[in-house]
Amino acid sequence: MAEKIATQHPKFAVVGHPNKGKSSIVSALAMDDSVQISDTPGTTVKQRSFPLKVDGKVVYELFDTPGFQRARRVLAWLEKHEVSADKKQDVVRAFIHEHRNDERFNDEVQLLEPIMAGAGIIYVVDGSKPYGSEYEAEMEVLRWTGQPSMALINHIDESDYSQEWKRALEQYFKMVRTFNPMQTSLAQHMNILESMAQLKEEWTAPVKSSMVLFESYHKQMIERSAFLVTRLVYESTSSIEKFGFSTEEASDEDKEQIERNYKNRLRELEHHTQEKIEQVWNHDHLQITQENLTFEGMDLFSEETASVFGLTQKELIVTGATSGAVTGAGIDLLFVGHTLLLGSAIGAVVGGVGAYFGFKELAEVKVLGHTLGKKYLQMGPMENRNFPYILLGRALYHTSRVSKRSHAIRGVAELEMDATFKEKWLDDDLRKSLEKYHKIFRSGKEVEVEVLKEYEVLVEKALLGLMGEEDN
Amino acid sequence: MHLKSYLNFHELLADDSTPREENRAFGLAHVLLKNKPIEQLVSWQEEHSNKLQQPSTSEKFASYLYGVTLTLGIVAFILGLLSGIGLLSYSGHEPVNVIYFIAMVVFFPLFTMSLTLFSMLRANSAQSLLVHVSPAFWMEKILSFLPSKIQNSMKEIKINPLLLNWIVIKRSQLIALFFSLGLLVALLAMVVTKDIAFAWSTTLHITPEAFHSFLNTVALPWRDFFPSAVPSIELIERSQYFRLGDKLSEEMINNASQLGEWWKFLALATLFYALILRCMMYLLASFGLDRAIKKSFLTLKGSSRLLKEMNEPIITTRALNDEERFVPSEENYEQIIHVLDASYDVVQGWAIPKEQLVVLNDSFSVIAPKFFEVGGANSFEEDNEVISKSHGEVLFFVKGWEPPTMDFVDYLQELAQKVDKVIVVPVGTAENNYEIKQRTIDVWDRKLSQLAEEKVWLKR
Repeated sequence: MAEKIATQHPKFAVVGHPNKGKSSIVSALAMDDSVQISDTPGTTVKQRSFPLKVDGKVVYELFDTPGFQRARRVLAWLEKHEVSADKKQDVVRAFIHEHRNDERFNDEVQLLEPIMAGAGIIYVVDGSKPYGSEYEAEMEVLRWTGQPSMALINHIDESDYSQEWKRALEQYFKMVRTFNPMQTSLAQHMNILESMAQLKEEWTAPVKSSMVLFESYHKQMIERSAFLVTRLVYESTSSIEKFGFSTEEASDEDKEQIERNYKNRLRELEHHTQEKIEQVWNHDHLQITQENLTFEGMDLFSEETASVFGLTQKELIVTGATSGAVTGAGIDLLFVGHTLLLGSAIGAVVGGVGAYFGFKELAEVKVLGHTLGKKYLQMGPMENRNFPYILLGRALYHTSRVSKRSHAIRGVAELEMDATFKEKWLDDDLRKSLEKYHKIFRSGKEVEVEVLKEYEVLVEKALLGLMGEEDN
Repeated sequence: MHLKSYLNFHELLADDSTPREENRAFGLAHVLLKNKPIEQLVSWQEEHSNKLQQPSTSEKFASYLYGVTLTLGIVAFILGLLSGIGLLSYSGHEPVNVIYFIAMVVFFPLFTMSLTLFSMLRANSAQSLLVHVSPAFWMEKILSFLPSKIQNSMKEIKINPLLLNWIVIKRSQLIALFFSLGLLVALLAMVVTKDIAFAWSTTLHITPEAFHSFLNTVALPWRDFFPSAVPSIELIERSQYFRLGDKLSEEMINNASQLGEWWKFLALATLFYALILRCMMYLLASFGLDRAIKKSFLTLKGSSRLLKEMNEPIITTRALNDEERFVPSEENYEQIIHVLDASYDVVQGWAIPKEQLVVLNDSFSVIAPKFFEVGGANSFEEDNEVISKSHGEVLFFVKGWEPPTMDFVDYLQELAQKVDKVIVVPVGTAENNYEIKQRTIDVWDRKLSQLAEEKVWLKR
């Protein structure tokens, strides 16, 4: 009984002609970038299950299958057995049984097995190529299985033969939908699941619940990304590098070494966070190039980065002045306005000047510590006011690109962020809100978890904005 | 909530390698704690405490803390005792001025308790000045320099500064409590063992009535229960003492037995202000520390991740097993034709209708007497008939965009047995004027390489 219940979840077998994007569709729907995708027919040699599991419980199961290789021969075998419609499934089972060890029909057995085990059929065709009569044998074979079915028109290239495909497919399938696995979004994903839910009445509830799950999964991924980005900005900005030396005074080499170590540590933090974010979005196999992010030789510390991806000097002065004014306003309140708002004016000037000088500085090298006669150089926390914005901008760009990338796409992702990206996520209000937290991060003091949570909310909001914008 | 739990949790998180699945299983098993993050973390820490190395850091710290507290407690008690004895010492020439003792057991505790309350409010600031001027803080600092062995083991412990502030505040209350206990013991011991003549004396012009009113206010907490522990106006009048004159007034000497009555007031003042109120401060500090520990649980690095792992469902969509890798042949097909002849014996098209074959012939400037559509919707009988009619050199058009299936390969092999030469010509769509990309021909190239059929050639 337990086994019966366990096997009641909906199953869907993605089948079709070789090289029509079955694996791409499975890869996109299962959000798994490990699926082998190739332009050589016969890449998929065995059926492969992709279950959607929640806490170990399977909600539905997707099967990637090899393409039809000898559909006409299978159909000929089936048609030799003249039977009534109610017996056709038995004939298909007999075919599987008889040819299970037959090398010639390995692919057909592999694709028919999950169908005869109760899987719904998702038949994939390439709508960018003309319809051909050779597909009819495949569709006939599938009709023999008697399982609920739908067709997905995939567009591998730019040409469009969708209309002729629709006319043909509607003869065989209950539903015909278009789906481009290379350009998936949550909305498209939900549309396909909605169609899958309609294939069979018993599957409607579990597939609909899986839609809710996917939405919460998506939300979970955004939250986790925001968490990681927040930690990156906080840890990098407050990071402190120490470098011991035993001589009377630190040499220039020592100072250069600590600066190198400091920069490398920040780069490592960024790299490590990027990897984690890619894992969050199930892009474990993603390869990225960032060399051409904007300009040649640009990295976290070049001046080009500072001016293009962070805030401009002018913006920094405005931001600094605003946060200074907040402090000044506190003084005014203390004297119940008797300073005639002079406090705010002084605060604004001090903040602004601080920002101006803070622009080019990274972090001062300090000589500290005399424990048992040892001295060490210390670098950090980051004093450059622009740095958190640069880092945050880069992290948001990386996350939005990774989140948007279909799992069906193979090859190296080139992250090319241009100067307009900043305008997409950073407005005056957000800048003012962020500056408050960046100031705390720069102070090097212990930051309360609530503060980080507040910053995380801002990051999450920015991420959602970026994702929404790209969807539109 | 104990500091031990916090330290254990800190240690567990530092080397935590618990799989996400296990943490989620824990979250599901303790579903009632879902919206109580601190309880959840404490419960997790208790469940995993067996993973800690023995003796754990928390045990080392607890033992260190106990040692320090005991030392400081004893020192404070002795100081209190000595202070009490000093304040109550009766030289025989001058009576004991109760104002000193009142200042020590009433005003000094009230002042330090006010400071404590203020530092409690400021405890959340890591650089709280009031905490750092606390004697407990500095005495601990001094002590921490002494035992090097303990110092080394303590280096592993990193306590949240906010928590440290509360530890110091709580400890200060305990030390003050020991000090006050010393004062009380000194008072009682002096009263029992000596005949002390209490009096009061001040440079200020304070009338006995005013002083009585003041003492009555001080005695407010106990005056209804112990009226005898409130000095009467007569006693105050009789025990007022002026230094000038260099000798005790006669009235004082006549009422010497009554002057000792002050001890009840002093004892209850010590009990209430120095001990009971301090106990309340201690409880308040314990409550604050408890809250700080709870709060610190959430600030520890890794606790947010742990909570997420416990509370968020694990959604997986990936395949359970690794894919069997297919490695396509890298060999190039050697039998390549670049230019077609002008005529062939037979032209065939795989799933290409006859009328389209005619167009294709024109397009490639090829003539042939026979045209056949094979594959596609044909039956095998029809295909076999075409093979039987084929001979010589066959020009075989295939849809380049459709990958070569084994159905095609089967037919090609059968055809190759019957004829002299088969030239496979992959073509593009009519929309693209039958032009085909090299990448697409490569697919056919690789497939034909696997066949190694002598009579089959590929048009590139």
